[in-house]
Amino acid sequence: MRGFARKGFAAAALVAAATLMLAACGGGSSSTATNVGPAGEFGKVPPESGTPHAGTMTVAFPPGATPTWIMPVTPSANGSVYTSFAFQYEMWRPLYWLVNGVAPKEYPSMSLAQDPVWSNGDKTVTVKMKTNYVWSDGQPVTSKDTEFWIDELAAGIKESPANWGPYVPGLGLPDQITSMTTPDNSTLVINLNKAVNPTWFWQDELGAIQPMPSHAWAKSSASGPTLDFTNPANAKAIYDFLAAQSKSTTSYASNPLWQVVDGPYKLTAFNNTTGAFTMAPNTKYGGPHASPESTLQGVPFTSDTAEFNAIKSGSVDAGYVPLVDLPQIGQVESTYNVFGYPDFGWSYVAYNFKDTTGDFNNIIKQLYIRQVIAHLEDQKGYISAFFHGAGGEAYGPVPSIPESPFTPSNAMTNPYPFSVSSATSLLKAHGWTVNPGGTDTCSSAGTGSNQCGAGIPAGTKLAFNLIYSTSPTIIPEQVTDLASQAKKAGINITLSSSNFNYMIANYNVVSAPKNDNKWAMEDFGGFTNSTYPTTLGVFNCTGSFNIGGYCDPQADKYITASTTSSDPNAVKTEASYLTQQQPSLFQPNPDSPNGGVVVWKKTISGQPTSFESLSQFQLNPEYWYFTK
Amino acid sequence: MSLYLLRRIGTSLVVVLGVSIFIFFLLHAIYPSPAIDVLGPRANRASIAAWNRQNGFDNPWLVQYLHYMKALLSGSFGWSYKENQSVAALFGEVWARSAYLSGISLLFAVVIAIPLGIYQAVRRNTLGDYVATSLAFVTYAMPVYLLGLILIDVFALQLHMFSFEASQSTSLWGVMTDWYAMTLPIATLTLITVAAFSRYMRSSAIDALAQDYIKAARAKGLPERLVLFRHLLRNASLPMVTLIGLSIPALLAGNLITETLFNYRGLGLLFYNSLQQVDYNVMLAYTLLGAILVVVGNLIADIALTMADPRIRLA
Repeated sequence: MRGFARKGFAAAALVAAATLMLAACGGGSSSTATNVGPAGEFGKVPPESGTPHAGTMTVAFPPGATPTWIMPVTPSANGSVYTSFAFQYEMWRPLYWLVNGVAPKEYPSMSLAQDPVWSNGDKTVTVKMKTNYVWSDGQPVTSKDTEFWIDELAAGIKESPANWGPYVPGLGLPDQITSMTTPDNSTLVINLNKAVNPTWFWQDELGAIQPMPSHAWAKSSASGPTLDFTNPANAKAIYDFLAAQSKSTTSYASNPLWQVVDGPYKLTAFNNTTGAFTMAPNTKYGGPHASPESTLQGVPFTSDTAEFNAIKSGSVDAGYVPLVDLPQIGQVESTYNVFGYPDFGWSYVAYNFKDTTGDFNNIIKQLYIRQVIAHLEDQKGYISAFFHGAGGEAYGPVPSIPESPFTPSNAMTNPYPFSVSSATSLLKAHGWTVNPGGTDTCSSAGTGSNQCGAGIPAGTKLAFNLIYSTSPTIIPEQVTDLASQAKKAGINITLSSSNFNYMIANYNVVSAPKNDNKWAMEDFGGFTNSTYPTTLGVFNCTGSFNIGGYCDPQADKYITASTTSSDPNAVKTEASYLTQQQPSLFQPNPDSPNGGVVVWKKTISGQPTSFESLSQFQLNPEYWYFTK
Repeated sequence: MSLYLLRRIGTSLVVVLGVSIFIFFLLHAIYPSPAIDVLGPRANRASIAAWNRQNGFDNPWLVQYLHYMKALLSGSFGWSYKENQSVAALFGEVWARSAYLSGISLLFAVVIAIPLGIYQAVRRNTLGDYVATSLAFVTYAMPVYLLGLILIDVFALQLHMFSFEASQSTSLWGVMTDWYAMTLPIATLTLITVAAFSRYMRSSAIDALAQDYIKAARAKGLPERLVLFRHLLRNASLPMVTLIGLSIPALLAGNLITETLFNYRGLGLLFYNSLQQVDYNVMLAYTLLGAILVVVGNLIADIALTMADPRIRLA
C-alpha cells in the first residue's frame, strides 16, 4: 500500500507498509472480467441513480489502518492516510479539498475557504472563509479557527519538530509566518518572511490546515476557561491539553471536545483495540452531501485475506480487492461495483550516486547509463503480468495517470521505452563492449561523447547490486524481471532481498554514510505526491530523503523555483526535467489503495467522483446512499 | 520440593534476564533507533533528533537498557509509539482473547487426541488406524493458513454454516458465546494440534501396551476398559503432559496466522504489527513475556510429570 503524510512538498508514504504474507493465499479460479480502460482505469464507476435511502454504510479498512490520533495536528509517529483522510477528515475538514475524483486538483465546493489571494510580492496571503460551513454546535467556522490551528501547530512544533509529520524546518508552516491577523471573522491575513510560490503554498501548506473550533478547544483543561491562543504560553498549554486528550484513545467517542466538528460526521463509537468506529451524520454539516445521509461504520481487518473473505461473503458495503486477488474479481462483480486507478505518486528504484563500489558512482552519473536502465524496464509488461492490469505507467516523479495540471508532456509518453536493443546500442555508442548474457566492460575510457565517461576506467564491469523489499510482491517481481532484461544487455544486477523497515533504517539515512557502499540500487517502494508534486527533499542536493545523493545544480534550481518562484508552472518544469534526467528508475504505479481496486455494493449509489476518489485514499461516504 | 522450586525459579530468573539482555541488544544492533521507521522515511533530521531525545534513544545502549529495566521493575512496559497506548494497556486488551482461542483449542485437542491415540494404538494396523493416521499426516503437514482458508471457503463461503471471521465482540464473554463465529478458528487450531498430539499419544500408548504391567493386568482378568483407563491412559499420557506444558506459551503469545486469517485481534497479531512498525516496547514486552511463559511452561510440565509419575524425582 501507499501510505503518506499529507502536506507539503510531497507527502510521504510507503508502498511496502502493510501487505501481509497471507494476502497471496487466496485460491479460486475466476478470471477477471474487468477490462483496463483507455484512460487507465480498472472497472468503472456507474452514473448516479436510484432513490436515496439512509442506513449504515460499512466500509472495510486494511490491516494497520487503526486511527491512533484524533486532534487534527498529527505527530509524525501517528500519521497515516487512514488516520487523516478516513478518520479525521470525516470530522474536521481541511481548509482546501484538493482531490477531485481521481484528479489531483481542488474540489472547490468542499473547501472551507475561497482560493487564497496573494499580495505584497507573494509574501502576503489572504484567506477568506466561506459562510456555509458551521460547527456542529452551531458556531460559524471562522478565520480565528484557522489561525487557531496554525498557532497550535507552532506550539506543537516548538515542543518537538516530530509533532507534525510534514514539518520542514524553515520552510512553509509555521516557520515562514511572521505575523497573522484576522480583520474579521471570515478573513485571515498571513504574512511570510519571504516570497513563496503561491501555488505551492496554497496546495501544500494551506491545504494541510484543518480549522479547529477555538471557541470549544482553546482551553488547558476540560473545565477551564477559554484562553487567548495567540499568546504562545496559552497556545502551549492548549496544545498539551489537546495532545493529552488525543493520547486517551479510549475516550475518543465520549470526550465532548471531539464532538464539535465541521465535517459530515460525528464519532459515536470507537474501539481502540481494533480500530472499528461508528460515525453518525452531523446534521449541521454545511458542505455537499447526500440526503438523507447514512451512518458510517469503519470495519477493520487483520489481513487482506480476511478483508477479501468479507467481500466474498458480502458482509461489508465497501472495501477493496487486493492486487494478488484480482484474478478472482469475477467472484464479486455480481454484487459489487469495481474501480481501480493509481494514486498520484511514484514508485522508484533509487540509484546510489555515492557508492564507489566498482566505480558505480561514476557509472550512474552518466545520463546514458540511466537511460539504458530505463530502456530495460518493461512497464507495460509489469502492469499486465504483475499488476493484473491494475496500474498506470510512470516515467518520472509525475506519473502519466492520474493527470494533473502539472503533468509535463514527457510524462505522458515513455521517453525511454522498453527495448533491450536500444539499451545495448546506447552502451556500444558510449564505448562499452556488450556481452549479452555476460558482463559488459568499458573498452573506451574517457569523457568523449563516444566514451564511457568521467571516472570510468577501461575494463570497468557493468555489474552492481540491487537491494529490494520483499513486500509487496510486485517489488521482487519487477526487479527480478529488470535483472533478467539487464542480463540480456550484459548488465549484471545482483539482487538482494531485504525488508522495508531494515532498508529505511540502514540504507536511507542520508546523514549516516557508513552504508554508502553497500548498495547501488534500492527498491523500497515509493511515495504519494501531494497535488503539488515537487520533489523537494528527495532530489535536491541537500534533501532529507535524497538517499542516493543525487545532485544536479539544474535540478536544484528547478526544485527551488517550485517553492519560491511566482511561476505557476515551476513544478511542471521541475517534473519535466527530472523525467528527462532519470535521477532514479521510475516504476509503474499499482492501483490503490493497498495495491488493489475498490469495490462497493451495487445497492449503493452517489456522486461518481466520491467513488473514484477512493482510489486516492479519500473516503467521502457523505455522498453515498442506499438505493434499496 | 520447595528447594527444587526455589532453584528452578532462580534459574528461570537468570534465563529471563539473559533473554531480556539478548533481545534488547540484538534489537539495538539492528535498529540503533527506530526513529525513521516510526516517523516515516521522509522525516527530517530535526524531527528524528527530537524524537530520539524524547524517547531516550540518544543515550548509550547500556543506559537505555538500565532505564528500560528500571521501568519494567516498576511495572511499566513503556509506550507504544505507533498505537498511541501503553504497552500494558495493549496487552490487557487482547491477552484474554488470545488465551481463550489457544486454550479452548488446546483443550479440545487434548480431549480428542488422547482417546484417538489410544484407539489407534489398541487397534493399530486396522482400517481405522490407517484412516486416522492418514488424516493426521495430511493435517499435520498442512500449513495452518491453508487449513484455515479451506475451512472458511467450505463452511463459511460455500455452506454458510459459520462466519468467515472470528467474533468481533469487545467482551470476552461475547467471544466465548459466539460459536457461530468462533467455531472455524477453534477448529483450525484444534485440528492442527490434534494431528500432532494424537501421533505422540499413539506412539506412547503402543509402548505402554507392550509393558509387563499391562500384560499382568490383562492376565489377572481385569476388564479391557479398566486396563485401558486405569493402567494405559495414565502411563501413556506422560508425553502429553510435557507437550501441554510446552504449549502454555502459545496460550498467551497468541496464534498469529489464525488471528490474522480470522480477523481476530490477539497478542500474536499485536506482535506482528509491532515487528512491521518497529514498535520497540511492544516487541520487547512480547519477547520477554514469551520467554517467561516458556520457562513457566517447562516448570509446570516438570512438576506435573512428577505428580503423574512418582518415579520421576525432582533433583
